[in-house]
This record gives sequence, structure tokens and C-alpha cells, in this order.
Amino acid sequence: MTERIEGVVLTLICTLVLASYGRAQKINGGGNTNVPGQLPSIHLVSPEPDGQWTLPAGDYANTRYSPLNQINTQNVKNLKMVGSMSTGIARGHEGQPLVVNGTMYVITPFPNNLIALDLSKPGFPMKWKYEPHPDPRSQGVACCDVVNRGASYADGKIVYATLDNHIVAVDANTGKEVWRTLVGDIHIGETTTGAPLIVRNIVITGDAGGELGVRGKVVGLDLKTGKEIWRAYSTGPDKDVLIGPDFKPFYPKDQGKDLGVTTWPPDGWKLGGGTVWGWISYDPETDLIFYGTGNPGVWNPDMRPGDNKWGITIFARKPETGEAKWAFQVVPHDAWDYDEIMENIAVDMDWHGKMRKLLIHPGRSGFVFVLDRETGELLSAEKFQPVNWAKAYDLKTGMPEVDPAKVTHTGVIAREVCPSSTGGKEFVPSALSPRTGLLYIPAHNTCMDHEGIDANYIAGTPYLGSSTTMYPGPGGYQGELVAWDVANAKQVWGVKDPDLPVYSGVLATGGDVVFYGTMEGWFRALDAHTGAILWQMKLGSGIVGDPITFKGPDGQQYVAVYSGVGGWMGAAAQPSISLADPYAALGITGAMKKIKQLTAPGGTLYVFGL
Amino acid sequence: MIRRIHMEIALLATCALLLCSGCTQQPVQAAAEGGLPGVKIPVGPIPGPQMEFKMPTNPYEENSVAMEEGRRLFVWYNCYGCHGGHAGGGMGPSLRGPVWIYGGDPAHVFASIAEGRGKGMPSWGTKIPQDQIWKLVAYIETLGTPQEPDAPHVAPDPQVKEKK
Ligand code: HEC
Repeated sequence: MTERIEGVVLTLICTLVLASYGRAQKINGGGNTNVPGQLPSIHLVSPEPDGQWTLPAGDYANTRYSPLNQINTQNVKNLKMVGSMSTGIARGHEGQPLVVNGTMYVITPFPNNLIALDLSKPGFPMKWKYEPHPDPRSQGVACCDVVNRGASYADGKIVYATLDNHIVAVDANTGKEVWRTLVGDIHIGETTTGAPLIVRNIVITGDAGGELGVRGKVVGLDLKTGKEIWRAYSTGPDKDVLIGPDFKPFYPKDQGKDLGVTTWPPDGWKLGGGTVWGWISYDPETDLIFYGTGNPGVWNPDMRPGDNKWGITIFARKPETGEAKWAFQVVPHDAWDYDEIMENIAVDMDWHGKMRKLLIHPGRSGFVFVLDRETGELLSAEKFQPVNWAKAYDLKTGMPEVDPAKVTHTGVIAREVCPSSTGGKEFVPSALSPRTGLLYIPAHNTCMDHEGIDANYIAGTPYLGSSTTMYPGPGGYQGELVAWDVANAKQVWGVKDPDLPVYSGVLATGGDVVFYGTMEGWFRALDAHTGAILWQMKLGSGIVGDPITFKGPDGQQYVAVYSGVGGWMGAAAQPSISLADPYAALGITGAMKKIKQLTAPGGTLYVFGL
Repeated sequence: MIRRIHMEIALLATCALLLCSGCTQQPVQAAAEGGLPGVKIPVGPIPGPQMEFKMPTNPYEENSVAMEEGRRLFVWYNCYGCHGGHAGGGMGPSLRGPVWIYGGDPAHVFASIAEGRGKGMPSWGTKIPQDQIWKLVAYIETLGTPQEPDAPHVAPDPQVKEKK
């Protein structure tokens, strides 16, 4: 094991040396990227977390950066576990807890309990537990484990979603339910797994079920009452998508009337997917929310000729009304299940010598997309993992240059397509440090053989039409924590994992430490500049959650993370999935051959301090 | 009032038990008379004196044409989307054994499909004709055995091949 780590460190040093050569020749801006002691020209657009963690990503802009610096590159080696708590649920623990007013709030996978822990007492005893009792049948329609990606806090309430599509608001002091609103229907395959975002008085939340012919949507609820204020579908006529006179997409390909209907075969849009189960970000300066939509409904692309809007699209909307401001369809007529529901990070940054309002989207399709978040113009799209479905993006048209050999058809197996449906990365969120200018991407290197087959729509069952097998991609590794120089659109260093994808979120701190976990269960602290592993500890189960940091009531900095392997790929650790079937769990088992040996299901919150 | 009702129920139950000592076949017969045959069978252990249940048997057992047909139906009815392309699991559990939540003998597998199960297994009894359910059962019973139609084989990774 130590040998392997040493190997990684060596590779790192080499990468670093090479990277610094690369930098010497660079032509564009961001001159201060990754220079210790010098800050790159980055302007954060939303308040940084102030020692609490009240939003899923810590801030509105989704940087997952905390300025706390008590734990730093010098002392992180002394990090110790100071608390742990089992949730009693051995399923995928995605997402992250919140910390508000000296209390930590843990949201569990199904049955979606909310547990309040008192951070002012040793061992962090439980204050109360709220149990929403979601419909057990929702477990059967949850495509990729019965996960939950967290809550948002505002106005004395913790707000989150249950798997059976209730949005609940719970009094943060008493644990009493304030309101509960049903926003979806499990009988048509709808579930809700994403974390809501609260902007002023509006709770914004999406849905899941793109594998079951669900018509994706986002709703805005009144924070006080839970009443639905707006609903924006991802498919259908403009009035359903909340596309009106203010809608100004940058590219001609995204302009036109009722594209959510006309880019589909008749009625196809009604089962058209485009669900919104990832992260929602908000930029107070442009007053826009941003999110991406998932795959268009039915995986077999032959069954839905057309661009299939607005599947796999990044939307910018007004938080109060939901009205669309712009949209950029990242992948038209998807043939790979490249949901682009990943984080959209809003920062102002030196871009080719000029400060610009950027939206950074490290995508499942294997590219890091950089957009102008005022207009939706694509400024850059570069590969961060092995990618062969498209050669590149044309920045003039916003279109990918697709390799037709990598497009599946009914009865035709497209072989060695990279990345696989699970992507160059999954929903697991990156972090961006304004101190290094680097984006820390939890990446996967998995490829697939993908065949379209006929599909039969039966409400509440998968609407798939595909037969897929996945396996490790080229290069002899499966996961990588990639440090990406945004300004120069290239990798600076990476920490590779030979056997499993990196499936945890990332946290960057003011102490120049980057935290993340491996699916095997190593919780790691890296030097944000060099990628050197400064500290690591093996936790009880694989890590698919997102680390957070906070200041305790004692004034000390702490770091917390869930351990509990699961999610689409991680569910292969469950005894209910057999590795003897390479087509099991939508084809991931071939890429997860070692998982049952390397980890086992669990569900524990861990807290670390100096 | 409520207590009295409870007592009455308890009395009735005891009488039923006493009277029923000679009617061990009844649950199966009841199933044959009304409702769906083969679904009124116990999932859990049976308390009290031992009773012999005759489980309904699969008319298509050992019928290879029916097994093939069951494989086709497994894809046609979208079972594969939840249980994995070759039933290795996903949204629903692996059906490739040896672990069964609700019993793995043909009658229980039939009941799981016809009635549905609590954690999200749809109830197919009103959607799929009985003989097709038995064909699905016939296919499920072959999983992992040499008779399995269209059995999956875990191929070596193309990238690994390349490296050699
Ligand atoms: C929407 C997803 C879904 C579909 C479609 C589905 N199943 Fe299931 N199935 C499940 C879930 C979830 C369970 C586990 C239920 C539980 O534990 O209560 C299950 C359980 C079962 C069981 C019992 C397994 C055991 O261990 O006892 C059988 C047998 C079964 N399914 C067969 C089928 C067949 C055959 C089909 C197609 C006709 C099918 N299923 C379609 C989700 C599904």
C-alpha cells in the first residue's frame, strides 16, 4: 500500500515538473495560477461559508471552498478523529451534513431521517431525530441506490427532499415539521434525491427518474408555506419550460419556438427525461440560478430522432419566477446517457487577460466546459479524462464534433466508448480554490460497450432500451483526483486510484488543503498546490459523500464527511448486486470488479479535528 | 368495546385453528378457487402445529422453449431495467441467487411477480397473463445454471487485452 502511495507521489512530482514546463509556454491569462504565496485573479461572487455550512456546497456559487485555515498544510498530519456516529443505514451516503448555530444536521439515505447533533458537547450527542417515513415503494424506482444529496438552511428551517418526492421543512431548533409538499409521483417513476437550494424566499428543487421515462422538472416553493410558486419542465412547449420573451440563448441551435416539442418525435417529450438531480447554484450578481438537466428519455437514441431538447442542457433562470434567461444544450441527441447535472461553479476570473463572469462545469461527457454565465456562450471545452465520443467542441456553434462510430443504434453495439455513461465524473462535486486557481475534479476513467435495443414504456418501470457493459478505461487506473488549471484549460496534477472511480465530493480550504475520499474508504488531505498526500485515514466504508469544514462552538476548525459506499457505481458493493452479470446495475459491474473485496456497505458520519 | 372485539377475534381464531386440523391443503385449494392460483402461499415460517403446504408447481418446469420465452419476456416487461440485464441486480435485487428475500422456489417467485413486494417490486398480476408469469419463473429458475438462455459471460476488459 505504502509503495503504491509512494508511486503516486512520484508520478505527481513528475506531472508537476512537466506541468511547470507547460506553463512556461502558455499564451493566455491566469498567470498566477497555482503559485504558492500569490493569489490568482479570481473574484468570488457569493459569500464564503463563515465557519458554518448552511448550503449544500457551502456557498451559492458552488465553489466548495472554505476560507478556514486553522488546519493547514503544516499541521494536517496531526488530524484525529474526534467524533463518529452510525446512521444505522448501510446504503450510499452521498451529499453532506449542514452546520448551523453549533448544531450539525445529518440527512440519511432512505428513509431520509434528519438527525441533529449538539456540537457543543463531547461526542456530539443527538438532540433530536426527525423521521419523515417516505413510501417504501419509492426504493424500487430509485435508479441508482436510495441516496439523498443533502439539505439547505434558511429562516430557521432545514429543507430537504425525501425519496418519495416530498419536500420537507423542519424547524432547526425543535425538529418539528413546518411544512411538507408533494412535488412528484413514484408511480410514474419519479424520485427526488438532489439537495434543494434556497434563494431568498424560494426553495428550488429538481427531480430524478431519467431511466424511467420521467419528464424532468424544477420547482420553486415558498419557503414560508411550501406552496408551489413555479414549475419549469425540461421538455415540452415553451410555456411549460418557462421560456418567454426574456429567453436569449447564445447559439442559433438553441433558438426557436417550442424546441422542447419540435426536436422530438410526436409526444416523445412527454417521456423525455431531462431530470434535474444534481446541484443548483446561484449568482447574486446576475441574480440567476444555474443547473444542468439529465439524459433525454429512453437511452436508445434511434427511438427519439432529433436534438431532444432540453435534455443535457445547462439552464440559467430567475429564482423568483423560474423564467429561463438562457440555455445551452451541451449534448444534442444524446447516445451515451451523459447527464450534465453536475455542479456549475460561478466565479469571476481573469480569462485571456480580461475579468469575465464564468460558469465552470466539469462534465460527465469528459470535458470541462467554461461558459459566460451572463450569455451562455461557450468559452472553452477541454477533456479532463480519456474521451472519444467527440473530438472537440466548436466554440462558434457550441456543437460537439461527434465520432459516428461511437453512436449506438438499435441492434448495433458501439464499442469502447469513452467515457462510459457514468462519465468522466459523476454528480460528485468539484471544489475550486481562489488561492490556487485550480479546480479539483473527482474523476472516473471508465469506458463501455453500448447497444440500443427496443424499449417498451410501462409507467413506473425503466424506459431504457439499452444493453450496456462497462470496464476500466485506458491507462491502468479507474479514478483520479484531477487538479485542473481553469485559466489554461489543462491538468496540473492528479492522484490516481488504480481500482475504483473517485466518487466523493471535494473540499478546498484557506489552509491550502484539499479533502476528498476514495471509494475504498481512504479519507485524504492533499496539498492544494502539489497534490502531495499529507494525511489519510481509512474509514469504515467507501466514501461517496462530500467533505465539509466548520468552526465548532469551541472556536476550533473541524472537517466532517460521511462514509457509506453506494450510489450508481458504489451500489455494486451491496450483496443485492451480483458481479456475475456484467449488465447488472445498468452495466457498471464490469468496472467494479474489486469493490466487494475493497470495501463493504456502511453508514457513518466522521468528524476530524487537530 | 375495543377490548371485546379483540377477544372475539382471538376466540374466532382459536376455533378456526381447532376446526382446521384436518384441512392442511386448504390454502392452496382456496387459491385455486378464487383469486390468482399460486399466490396465497406463506412467505414467513408457519407457527403452530406443522402443516404441509403443497406449493403450486410450474407447468413449464424443464421446458426449454418456455425458458427462452421467459428470457424474452424479462426484457419485454422491463424487468431487466430494474433487476439488471441478466438479473444480476440494480434497482431491484439480484435474482441470480442464492439469496432470496421472499423465497426462491417457483411458487414464491410467482407470488413475488404477481403480487409485487413492499420495497418497490411492482405487482404484475393484473398486467401479465398467468402463463407468461410461469415462463418468467421458468427463466428465473435457470439463472446461473447451464440451462440459462442467453447467459452472460464476463468478458475480459478490452483495455486489458490491448496491454498484452
Ligand atoms: C421498478 C423496478 C422493478 C421492476 C420493473 C421489476 N422489479 Fe422485481 N423487484 C424490484 C424490487 C425493488 C424488489 C425487492 C422488493 C422488496 O425487497 O420488497 C423486487 C423483487 C423481485 C423478486 C423477489 C426477489 C427475492 O429475493 O425474493 C422477484 C422474483 C422479482 N422482483 C422479479 C421480477 C420480474 C420477473 C419482473 C418483470 C416482470 C420484475 N421483477 C420487475 C423492482 C422491480
